[in-house]
Amino acid sequence: FTPLMLTAMFILLLPIIMSNTQLYKNSLYPHYVKTTISYAFIISMIPTMMFISSGQEAVISNWHWLSIQTLKLSLSFKMDYFSTIFIPVALFVTWSIMEFSMWYMHSDPYINRFFKYLLMFLITMMILVTANNLFQLFIGWEGVGIMSFLLIGWWYGRADANTAALQAILYNRIGDVGFIMAMAWFLTNSNAWDFQQIFITQHENLNIPLLGLLLAATGKSAQFGLHPWLPSAMEGPTPVSALLHSSTMVVAGVFLLIRFYPLMEQNKTMQTLTLCLGAITTLFTAICALTQNDIKKVVAFSTSSQLGLMIVTIGINQPYLAFLHICTHAFFKAMLFMCSGSIIHSLNDEQDIRKMGGLYKPMPFTTTSLIIGSLALTGMPFLTGFYSKDLIIETANTSYTNAWALLITLIATSLTAAYSTRIMFFVLLGQPRFNTLNLINENNTHLINSIKRLLIGSIFAGYLISYNIPPTTIPQMTMPYYLKLTALAVTIAGFILALELNLAAKNLKFMYPSNLFKFSNLLGYFPIVMHRLPSKMSLTMSQKSASMLLDMIWLENVLPKSISLFQMKMSTTVSNQKGLVKLYFLSFMITLALSLILLNSHE
Amino acid sequence: MSMVYINIFLAFIMSLMGLLMYRSHLMSSLLCLEGMMLSLFIMMTVAILNNHLTLASMAPIILLVFAACEAALGLSLLVMVSNTYGTDYVQNLNLLQC
Repeated sequence: FTPLMLTAMFILLLPIIMSNTQLYKNSLYPHYVKTTISYAFIISMIPTMMFISSGQEAVISNWHWLSIQTLKLSLSFKMDYFSTIFIPVALFVTWSIMEFSMWYMHSDPYINRFFKYLLMFLITMMILVTANNLFQLFIGWEGVGIMSFLLIGWWYGRADANTAALQAILYNRIGDVGFIMAMAWFLTNSNAWDFQQIFITQHENLNIPLLGLLLAATGKSAQFGLHPWLPSAMEGPTPVSALLHSSTMVVAGVFLLIRFYPLMEQNKTMQTLTLCLGAITTLFTAICALTQNDIKKVVAFSTSSQLGLMIVTIGINQPYLAFLHICTHAFFKAMLFMCSGSIIHSLNDEQDIRKMGGLYKPMPFTTTSLIIGSLALTGMPFLTGFYSKDLIIETANTSYTNAWALLITLIATSLTAAYSTRIMFFVLLGQPRFNTLNLINENNTHLINSIKRLLIGSIFAGYLISYNIPPTTIPQMTMPYYLKLTALAVTIAGFILALELNLAAKNLKFMYPSNLFKFSNLLGYFPIVMHRLPSKMSLTMSQKSASMLLDMIWLENVLPKSISLFQMKMSTTVSNQKGLVKLYFLSFMITLALSLILLNSHE
Repeated sequence: MSMVYINIFLAFIMSLMGLLMYRSHLMSSLLCLEGMMLSLFIMMTVAILNNHLTLASMAPIILLVFAACEAALGLSLLVMVSNTYGTDYVQNLNLLQC
């Protein structure tokens, strides 16, 4: 029964792509898309309910596509714990974002194309999540990459947007190399790309494919080393940032690692690697978020930081907790992006927080949702973030793991509170610093409804999800009281510290930034160094060796040019004549004639 | 000696005069060089054929080959001069520079 309902859900999604060639290019198209997504969400709740009540997983293998020697590829969907719970969450968030973008992109002439792209992105994300073999997952993986490129460069007239889209594609490509390496290893060593077969057979040394998968997750989920594309991706419109780069696409990498948890459970090296990578990412991006001046960049960095937290959770061998954090994070991050979009639109496209202020009177609803979103992000007890984030910190505290990574994660948690406070302080409180001729209006039903839905989700979803899911790994129940309160304590410390600093420095003179500020503001110099130096070095090296050395020196200069140069130099040094050719010839002839006459006259 | 030889020898002397005394064009001295070479060739061939010095029959041909080489060299020098100055007037060759 479950498969039938799920195929019904897929059928609902598919006609949207078909219908763009018919007469749906009128102004009702966005509304149509939105209602379709809402129907799909409601229908997908039914299998989720069935799964929750019965714990029954399903695999649908439909269509045998091709067989390459011993490898059989078919179209198979896997409805297990992860995908069944993720699909309603993703559909709910996408529904709200579609409604929000009906308000945000209202004056855009290509709004139909925008919705089509968003829908295509959703479809490829579904493919990725429900894939049962690596090939289908790769299709979804590349699909979300391509749609991300198209959507980031939506305003393609802007050079920064094109650069950012290209940057996203390049960094994702580097991750794809890891993915393909893992696929190749699985193909040669276990003859199949199906998850069931990979998990059943026993392998000796799984380092290579797991390294490949970690590289893929680094590329797609913007971990340290392949991270600059995520802040640059904020060049796209706000609904794009909300959908792709907060809830769904960037969790694709984490999702991949979660899918492979039976393999990662046994390999201690990989766990340590993921733990350290996630910890470095969390701390680095939280540091960078402290001094950014653009709302969307701060939220992007907070996304990176939360992603690092998810990777840390995988590193301590808790894939289910990471998945829970994915689901809860989607709610409040999308809502944060939508609130910032509402603020940006109302202030006539102003994105710099130094030019905002005092918005809590003119925009009460947005203020409320921003505050609740930030509190949920930092893990305020009993909001959504608490159920996942606090559990993660507790488990990390009580597990036998790398103490340095743990410390870094705790510091990053307090920094989360710090930059959230900074955002709220600059945007909402104080006196207005923006242009006074703006009409600030948040009366549109689309905007209000979508944010309202996500608001209720942010508050209650954590509770609802945690108490309704089938039991997974048991969280640690007993721990000393100081460990249990650690997350709360560091968060409150971050809050108070940031508030004090902001209040104290509010009216002071702006001083020249210190080195630490510059480090944090320029993203740790990472994009500046890494974008120019390696490429310039490799290009000059190739030019020197291939072009200059071989062609110009050996073929051109050694024999021909050196001979001619040598001859010219020698002739100028040796000859000491003046011109006067005719005189020389004349003297030659006169001498000859004279000698002939003189010598002949003795006869 | 016989009249033929004196005739050809006179032609040689004429070309030599032309080579050594010319007004302005470098080309004329090159042409006279060719004339000298030509008269030498004729004299050599007539002498060898008249006196039946069969073993030396290849000498005129070798003379021709070397004369061609030197004519080519002279022409390339002319071309170099003409490249820098546009004409081959000999009064241009007054600069001590390459």
